[in-house]
Amino acid sequence: MIPVENFLVLAAVLFCIGGLGVVLRKNVLIILMSVELMLNAANLTLLAFARAHHDQHAHAFAFLVIAVAAAEAAVGLSIVVGIFRTRRTVQVDELTLMKH
Amino acid sequence: MDGVTITFYAFSTLIIIGAVMTITSRNAIGAVMSLVATFFGLAALYALLYAHFLAALQVLVYAGAIMVLFIFVVMVLNRDEIHPFSTRGWSSTFAWLVGVGSVLYLGVQLLSKLLNFTVSMSHQSGGAVLHRDAPPEDFGTVAAVGHLLFTDYLFAFEAVSILLLIAVIAAVVVARSHRSGAYEEPEAAVTESHGGHA
Repeated sequence: MIPVENFLVLAAVLFCIGGLGVVLRKNVLIILMSVELMLNAANLTLLAFARAHHDQHAHAFAFLVIAVAAAEAAVGLSIVVGIFRTRRTVQVDELTLMKH
Repeated sequence: MDGVTITFYAFSTLIIIGAVMTITSRNAIGAVMSLVATFFGLAALYALLYAHFLAALQVLVYAGAIMVLFIFVVMVLNRDEIHPFSTRGWSSTFAWLVGVGSVLYLGVQLLSKLLNFTVSMSHQSGGAVLHRDAPPEDFGTVAAVGHLLFTDYLFAFEAVSILLLIAVIAAVVVARSHRSGAYEEPEAAVTESHGGHA
């Protein structure tokens, strides 16, 4: 039997890796993938606590998180495609339309 | 070390390596493939946590649907990056340091809070709150989670279905090409007919 702390440490590390991806990368696609990583880390935490408490309500919650993540990916990627169509780039440091 | 522990550490290693390769790869296709490996590892860990329904859903929705969407977009927009990380000029170096520092601080705080919480929970009432033994027979099955979704979380379930519908429509509207097709031709026809009348 694996203690719940192991899962929590793994989820925190995964969340940090996702956060670093959001902060460091310039490609919008990689940033969206990092957001998906962070959502999955949150899901892992939910399911670890669900297992530790023998409580299935977190499973329903994780289901809703997955559905929202799917919606977010669909809308985010279509926005990326729309930006690429007008600006011809997916690098966030070249999208300076609102800077000037 | 028993089999469950070995499984946990093997899939944890897969997850960490996949996540690190996702955020460090210069090639977007490589990043997507590493992310697929990460999601499969996470599905294995969900199964280890007795969340069988969520494990199946993770494979179907994430590794199936969302990753296919990512691969299509990457195929359309792919080009390798010369400078994948944002470090050019002193101001972006400063921003880099602040970003990395704040994320690491967030991680340390998250870790300490979570671990303190579990320690205090397991000390309450002689450790009866956190279960070490196996959960009941139907824990995490489709039937049990589905029953919960259609009773306690019925409103959230229906709201999510409406959210997905809105997301589908929004994706089609935002990603559609505005130049070609259905909009301009009827307008042109209308102005032409007006001009003809004048």
